[in-house]
Amino acid sequence: MEVFQYVLRKLLAGIPLVLGVTLISFVLIVYFGPDKTYELLGKNPTADEIAEIRSQLGYDQPFVTRYMDYLREIVTLDFGSSESTDEKVSSILARTVPTSIALAIPGFVLGNLLGVVLALVAAYYRGFWVDKFIMGFAAVGMSISFLIAIIGFQILFSSSDGLDLLPVRGWDMSTPLQYIRYVTVPTLATVFVALGYNTRFYRAVIVEEMTRDHVRTARAFGVPPVQLFYRNILKNSMIPIVTRIMFSIPVIVISGSLLLESYFGIPGVGKVTYDAIVTGDQPILKAVVVLTAVLFVIAQLLADICYRVVDPRVSLK
Amino acid sequence: MASTENNALLSVRDLVVEFETDQGVLRAVDGVSFDIHPGETLGLVGESGCGKTVTGLSMLGLVPSPPGRIASGSIMFDGSDLVSMDETGLREIRGSQISMIFQEPMTALNPVFRIGSQMRDVLQRHQKLTRRQAHSTAIEMLAKVGIPEPAGRVDDYPHQLSGGMRQRVMIAMALSCGPKLLVADEPTTALDVTTQAQVLEQVVRLQKEFGMAMILITHDLGVVAETCQQAVVMYCGRIVERSSIEALFASPRHPYTAGLLASIPRVTDERQEVLPVIPGMVPDLLHLPQGCAFAERCSRVRDRCRQKSPRLELLQSTQTSVACYEPNA
Amino acid sequence: MSARAEVAVSVGAHGDSLWSKALRKFRRDRVGMWSLAVVLAYAVVALGVVLGLWAGDWADVSGPKWAPVSGEYWFGTNIIGQDIFARSLYSTRTAFEVGLVVALGATALGAVLGSTAGFFSGSWIDEVIIWLMGVLDSVPFILLVAAISYTLQGSPWAMHIAMIATFWIGTARLIRGEVIKLKSLEYVEAAHAIGVSRFMIIFRHILPNTFHILLVQATLSFVAAIKSEVILSFLGLGVKDGMSWGLMISESTFEVLAGFFNNFIAASVLMFGLVMAFNMFSDALQDALDPRTVK
Ligand SMILES: Nc1ncnc2c1ncn2[C@@H]1O[C@H](COP(=O)(O)OP(=O)(O)O)[C@@H](O)[C@H]1O
Ligand code: SF4
Ligand SMILES: [Mg+2]
Repeated sequence: MEVFQYVLRKLLAGIPLVLGVTLISFVLIVYFGPDKTYELLGKNPTADEIAEIRSQLGYDQPFVTRYMDYLREIVTLDFGSSESTDEKVSSILARTVPTSIALAIPGFVLGNLLGVVLALVAAYYRGFWVDKFIMGFAAVGMSISFLIAIIGFQILFSSSDGLDLLPVRGWDMSTPLQYIRYVTVPTLATVFVALGYNTRFYRAVIVEEMTRDHVRTARAFGVPPVQLFYRNILKNSMIPIVTRIMFSIPVIVISGSLLLESYFGIPGVGKVTYDAIVTGDQPILKAVVVLTAVLFVIAQLLADICYRVVDPRVSLK
Repeated sequence: MASTENNALLSVRDLVVEFETDQGVLRAVDGVSFDIHPGETLGLVGESGCGKTVTGLSMLGLVPSPPGRIASGSIMFDGSDLVSMDETGLREIRGSQISMIFQEPMTALNPVFRIGSQMRDVLQRHQKLTRRQAHSTAIEMLAKVGIPEPAGRVDDYPHQLSGGMRQRVMIAMALSCGPKLLVADEPTTALDVTTQAQVLEQVVRLQKEFGMAMILITHDLGVVAETCQQAVVMYCGRIVERSSIEALFASPRHPYTAGLLASIPRVTDERQEVLPVIPGMVPDLLHLPQGCAFAERCSRVRDRCRQKSPRLELLQSTQTSVACYEPNA
Repeated sequence: MSARAEVAVSVGAHGDSLWSKALRKFRRDRVGMWSLAVVLAYAVVALGVVLGLWAGDWADVSGPKWAPVSGEYWFGTNIIGQDIFARSLYSTRTAFEVGLVVALGATALGAVLGSTAGFFSGSWIDEVIIWLMGVLDSVPFILLVAAISYTLQGSPWAMHIAMIATFWIGTARLIRGEVIKLKSLEYVEAAHAIGVSRFMIIFRHILPNTFHILLVQATLSFVAAIKSEVILSFLGLGVKDGMSWGLMISESTFEVLAGFFNNFIAASVLMFGLVMAFNMFSDALQDALDPRTVK
């Protein structure tokens, strides 16, 4: 019951955020967005034709009325149909979200898992050459552009100048093997770059926990290293770790990796979003923006609940 | 006393602890030696930063490394040298043979586990108790240190207890395996005055009950007078005076000790006098003067004090050791 | 009072001690000094382009398609015969332009909004700024760039503005926290007591004491801007007129599949060098300015 009330309160508190996002997206994408009048008209339109189209599109309505219409669509989750393909936005999302998730999951999991492992090794040997080597590697990962990493791995695995093992671009999930063939290069690029940031972040978190008083107390009572790591360091670092992971989820599910998908021509949400940006397909952009904001509110909520689970000092008030 | 006939429980010889810092090697403990016999209490006194905590941590092999390390010396405990002992050996001793309690009760316990869980963990590891046995031992220990309703408190998280209560939990945990030596690092400094007295009294009572030896680290000579048999006074990482409590309070030999004693408030005094404080500042450990580290603040300073630092030497008359060229008579 | 607060007091009390100590520490940091030297070398290249000393001919079609590395074309030529070396130099200028504009804009905006929120913490002003940060954080970055680009009708500044509009948030959060700590300090309260205006308190007494944070944040924004430029330019949302490493890399994406790497390698290596040096410089700066390690 306490949790239920808390969830409700949090969701209500998320309303201003979602409203803010809708307002910004409305102003930028719709109100000042591309003018569709002339795309819908034939050659040499008359003034009357122009006026008629403008009123069909709602361009003659005042700002507030148009914003309210926009909100109504959002509240009813009716985003309409794509302007370029006429497919319903909901069905586009249903088709593309799973692809984006399938594309992002391996890189996300490996990037975080390996990040924690490397951070741990670095933190354990901090100051020694192992630490310096790992952090040097992380610095390289941080300094290489994602795009360069993508192209580099593509050359390495998919071109005749490299190993020429994997497909150059595209996507196929029909069999596990095909999935692995297509997901490998994007995943390697993601992991390489993400590791740079993740290792640094996790090392800082772990080192901070390692130097806390209670860790010294535990050592003074003979706690062996493995247990020290689980009970005193990992459990206590969960708050920043959970925060980082939770807040990456909306980005993965909705915008996916826009760059990866458009580079490799993978039919995920990111690609759809990118195409919508290029063609000015407003219903899709609207849906993506609003759903991202809603997912952020949910991620915040889940993160809070996780905090409560890992840290008894946090109360859901 | 640091004597060669040795039935001592713990005997520290020429301990040197150094820290690697950006500005060079810092010697936090420099040639410290002392003995403790079973059941005895030794007070380790000195101003903040003089190396008390680092000395205490050395007894458990817990000097933070890097940047710190024990550079030389030996710590004989029960026939083996803790300085050369490996990590596995030390883990066996920590919390079972030698326990330590820390200055800061608010942060010394793991915030995300119940105190019962933390206490059971120690008991199950060192005493090979079952979970159930460990649980009831934990409750017994909590009762012993004066925590009301121990059966309920055992399920609390540290943040649900006051500072004084947390320090009691630490003490209960430290004593739960019946250690031979307790290192108590300013156990009451962070508490309010009334709690201080209660907690200290508790520690001393339990020490007698358990028959352990104790190193009581404090910057308060008053506390030492009440609880200890011997005292070691440190200044800038070195021992400046080591003697029995009676001798120390009757006639402090080192000018620094004398200065510390003069600054203890005396409850018996009728009028509130202005307490003398030792003038001057503690020198920076990275840039210690060539001679006696106390020279800048000392009223008895002579030329030779500035040339070479005095060694700790036994004054035959009183069995007191002093590191000073001009000790008080 | 916490250790950090004490440090802040000492900064307030005798202004430059943190800075002179940090400078001394930075000077001893070999990696830091080397990375600064590399950054400065890039800056000289960029300045030379601005002054018209070199790379003015970056757009000229002067050679054959895909000429190899030679005395005439140091890095070879691209698919239509433009000199890759000149384009690389010109792109360095673009990187500094994007980096500096965004770093200055985002840091200044973050400083103003962050300190305002912090100074008025708990009031509606603070609430509004926090809300704004949450909102901008929840809009996918590339969509924001695209949207701003629509609104500005394809202006070449859309990219800069979009980056500033999101990069200020991190700085503002830090400054807000720092200001909340600072404003309870004695000298700020004293300024209050003698009737110094709020505006003066924020901008004369509080902000200068957060300058070390701003400096580090500016270096981080600079790097983030250069890295974002590459991605945005590849997606067609970045540099509009001119040449940049991002545009060179986009040009190269099909060249590399045809086995011609000069464009890709030139842009990647130059960009990596600058970003890496800047990252290391930023690290050394943070070390030098960390109040916990300043002695
Ligand atoms: N982790 C550390 N790194 C560097 N120097 C340290 C560290 N711990 C202690 N020191 C140095 O050792 C000296 C003694 O510290 P400590 O034993 O904590 O003093 P105290 O007598 O107050 O307990 C201090 O001057 C401090 O500078
Ligand atoms: S050696 Fe000299 S300076 Fe040092 S305490 Fe003795 S008298 Fe004072
Ligand atoms: Mg201490």
